[in-house]
Amino acid sequence: MMQHYPVLAVMLLFLAAFLVEIFGSKIAAIRNLITFAASTTALVLIYALIPAVMLRGEIISYWMGNWAPVSGYAIGIGYEIDALSLFFALLVVTTFWLSGIYSFGYMKKDHHLGHYYTLYLMLSGSVLGLVMTGDIFNMFVMVEIMTFASVALTAFRNESEGALEAGFKYLVIGSVGSSFTLAGIALLYGECHTLNMAQLSAILSGGLTKNSMMAMGLIIAGFGVKSYIVPFHTPAADAYAVAPTSVSMIFSGMVNKAGVYGMIRMVYIVFRAMDQSSVQMLLAVFGAVTMFVGVTMALTQHEFKRLLAFHSISQIGYVITAISLGSALGLTGGLFHALNHTLFKGLLFLAAGAVLYATGTTNLDKLGGLSKRMPHTTICFLVGAAAISGLPPFNGFASKWIVYQAVYTNAVESGNFLYVIITVTALIVSVMTLASFVKVTQAVFFGQLREEHKEVKEVPAIMLVPMYIMAALCICGGVFYNVVNTYLLAPASAAALNVTNYIDKMMGEGYADAAGVVNILAKPVEFSFWNPIMWLVLFGVVMAAAVLVIVFGENSRGKVLVPTENADPKYATFFSGEEEMFSQVGGSDLFWGFKKNWQGYYKVMQGLHSGIVTDYTTMTVVATAIIVLCCFVFMR
Amino acid sequence: MFTTQTLWNFFYVLIFPGALFTAVVGLFLAGIDRKVIAHMQHRIGPPIRQPMYDFFKLMGKETIVPARANKIVFLGAPVVGFISLAVIMLFIPIMGFTAFSGNADLIVILYLITIGGVALIVGGSSSGSPYAGIGISREMVTMMSYELPFVLVLLAVARKVGGDSLVFSMEAIAEWQAVNGSLAFHWSMIPAALAMLLVIPAEVGMQPFDVAEAETEICEGPLIEYSGAALGMFKLNTAMKMAIMTGLFTSLFFGGFRTGMMWSDVALFVIICMVVTLVCITTIHAVTARLKIEHLFKFFWTFVSGLALASLILAWMGL
Amino acid sequence: MILVNYVASIILIVLGLYTVCTKKNLIKIVLGLGIIDYGVNMLIVSFGFNEGGTAPIYQMSDLLNGVAPHFFVDPVPQALTLTSIVIGACVDAMALSLVIMIHRKYKSVNADDVRRLRG
Repeated sequence: MMQHYPVLAVMLLFLAAFLVEIFGSKIAAIRNLITFAASTTALVLIYALIPAVMLRGEIISYWMGNWAPVSGYAIGIGYEIDALSLFFALLVVTTFWLSGIYSFGYMKKDHHLGHYYTLYLMLSGSVLGLVMTGDIFNMFVMVEIMTFASVALTAFRNESEGALEAGFKYLVIGSVGSSFTLAGIALLYGECHTLNMAQLSAILSGGLTKNSMMAMGLIIAGFGVKSYIVPFHTPAADAYAVAPTSVSMIFSGMVNKAGVYGMIRMVYIVFRAMDQSSVQMLLAVFGAVTMFVGVTMALTQHEFKRLLAFHSISQIGYVITAISLGSALGLTGGLFHALNHTLFKGLLFLAAGAVLYATGTTNLDKLGGLSKRMPHTTICFLVGAAAISGLPPFNGFASKWIVYQAVYTNAVESGNFLYVIITVTALIVSVMTLASFVKVTQAVFFGQLREEHKEVKEVPAIMLVPMYIMAALCICGGVFYNVVNTYLLAPASAAALNVTNYIDKMMGEGYADAAGVVNILAKPVEFSFWNPIMWLVLFGVVMAAAVLVIVFGENSRGKVLVPTENADPKYATFFSGEEEMFSQVGGSDLFWGFKKNWQGYYKVMQGLHSGIVTDYTTMTVVATAIIVLCCFVFMR
Repeated sequence: MFTTQTLWNFFYVLIFPGALFTAVVGLFLAGIDRKVIAHMQHRIGPPIRQPMYDFFKLMGKETIVPARANKIVFLGAPVVGFISLAVIMLFIPIMGFTAFSGNADLIVILYLITIGGVALIVGGSSSGSPYAGIGISREMVTMMSYELPFVLVLLAVARKVGGDSLVFSMEAIAEWQAVNGSLAFHWSMIPAALAMLLVIPAEVGMQPFDVAEAETEICEGPLIEYSGAALGMFKLNTAMKMAIMTGLFTSLFFGGFRTGMMWSDVALFVIICMVVTLVCITTIHAVTARLKIEHLFKFFWTFVSGLALASLILAWMGL
Repeated sequence: MILVNYVASIILIVLGLYTVCTKKNLIKIVLGLGIIDYGVNMLIVSFGFNEGGTAPIYQMSDLLNGVAPHFFVDPVPQALTLTSIVIGACVDAMALSLVIMIHRKYKSVNADDVRRLRG
């Protein structure tokens, strides 16, 4: 029975997409019901696989139309769900379920919502299919559906500034990337005459030919476009900023994770090239550049969502760097960071959406002081900001810690100074991430409330619920990191390193042995760096003491005075004795000392992010050429 | 559930070497600093206990929440900062003694110290004052400035001690020094030690790196709207940071001394901390004027980072 | 001569890439995307091609009895190409509709004018 769940989940989402279009284009209740029912069922079906796949280590396979392999050749399309697939599938279902709930409140004011939910369900179904399929061409088809739905959703609010433009750029870069992937798949098929990933892995285990190296370069570039590593990142920055926020969350939570998944699946399982230092270094350099460029660009943004978009890019850099190491620790860190990024970035996007919903703008220079009007959003945002900056005890700290540990371990073990530079970059990027969130906090939530936002209200509960769920998960992930490791990360990283089970399950017992496939390494990692429980105990004790002091200190001399309605001048802000006036230190006013020293760098970067689509395609093509060349020249 | 170990943990966290010890040592170091700098400037200066008096006095004063502020964040920030700083000492070996041993203490310490700065930034930001806005901007740039050399120093030490395996553990660093002699006496680590000496005053926010709280131009920056107990907590946090940073320096570069007795170990630790304070906080304070923020950034990313990088490269070459 | 196919498909891909990288007209960029697609499709079809092969339409008994020649054109690449063509057509249609709407909004189809999102 269980082997039907994955296919059912994917089918159900696609089916619901059509049902919404047919029955739900007029009536909101039917539309929402179909969407909610389909996404909840998909969620339940995927979560039901956890016991078998994550705990008992089974691999679930399903042949479409029961076309099982004949005499060692896989003709049919197969679905294969190992722990790695399920890990990403869990991210996907969680993200679109929460985003769906949020959409019910957030998208209420828009028109043509039937189309919106159709595209939303198609996007969800395609990404879910992408992470669970065992067939490389099916993967490509899912990638295309994903790109298509993403573009349409990016341009969904086509009357708003820049939406069409962003959609077009996304489409151009996206389909150039897809074409590279398809060319790579074609080369692979030409060599191996199969499209099944398990069989490809078995055939390629004998060593890569020049042809398959070229294919690998093209496929890495193709999935690099989908995961928006620098320099393929430019459409992402535009698209995340102009898409409806519920969609931005889907983009950063699962669409770029799909690219990361594709990358891991290809380099670890199909090509099994991660034991080669040239591939490791290639991906590590791309990852480091991605995280650095992403964060430095984020520092100068004036748009809330565009800033978050650049952070998405930067955090994916961490993930790519971690998985590039080819070690179990690195893989664990990369997967953990991917999981955490889905949570905290989703949370931050939802907070940005709440601000947009309440005030109608996300311009950092036109906001301020919202924390008094939107306290729940502020709390959720602060949790997300602390998590993405990697402050303990949030989940971002746990995963970043593993990433640093993994990269520096690689540095001392290989003696390669490059990895030291990458470690330093990762640590510095973390501080810069913090800096840009300080900027957002100051510019949006603190400071002085603007006159035009005096009447702003907190967003409805249906939008707050997903935010609180994600905030709670952010804290749990940091405190109970060992639980996350045992039940999610360890099986997933073991699945990526132990290929034989994957092949045997799909192609029949003994197929891997016959092809001479050996596992790279199988040791799961254990880690423990500190005990956050102790910290939380102290936190509780001191916080309780502080609250007690504030509450019971009402009548003492040291009481806390809270401003009342009749304005007493002692509550006024200090203005050197002048009369109080409107003054808000906005987002663009911050970090002068930093920007001054980096102006040369920013000039170059602004030139590269010119907004002209041909510049972006040129960057894409040049980077692809570099990747293919590296694969071609330096690989063994 | 409630074992002796749990009780010991509470003792570690709350009294020694956690909150109380750090606070007392920090306030003591702040007192020494004020006394000595006064003498350097031909003044008599306040008694060494003065920071403690200040703290208790502030705790008994009214705390005014300004009208523009977000009350929860405004009052919560100093407490969060205090909590994160209180646990750092647990990870720093006091000569032979460590309360918690873990695998990756260096990075945990790095991040926990950051929380102290973040608490100041978020608290200042939540007060809604434009002075605080400028103050937090400068505080953040200061943080970005010293983070690079700080990270390089930590990596250099980790490489020097670890050799071909990875060591981020403070306890292992202390053990290594007990066997091989303190790191300050290994010449390849001297540039790193110098860089660290310059990082300390920036981290603590002392002249010439006190741009964020420049009282003569932006009226204490983030602290401008703070009063009473909340202000007292922030002053305490600054003092605790002083103890932690000098303690970290002591443990990283002078961690090789052992007297065999725990109490004399602790005394030795505090004395070395005091000397470090006098060298890197008091003296530098007395002889320099405040930098501009862009110069500060440049200074740390070129000169100080260069020193730290030199050590890292030397350690990398196995020297 | 199968080599001609490979060379031609590579030329098509490179031409398409050249178009998307250098032409400023958005419609030309869409055409470029199409050309890349055709190049890749041609590459895939060529991989399945066997000179002198027949169409792979047999009954199982034909294969077992050896009635059918064992030399036929691989049908899988053709299926892939069909799928890819369909996807390509959809992408082109979508891209062109976006270009139309961009033209309405920006009054231009020059890439240098369509750059409100930058920096």
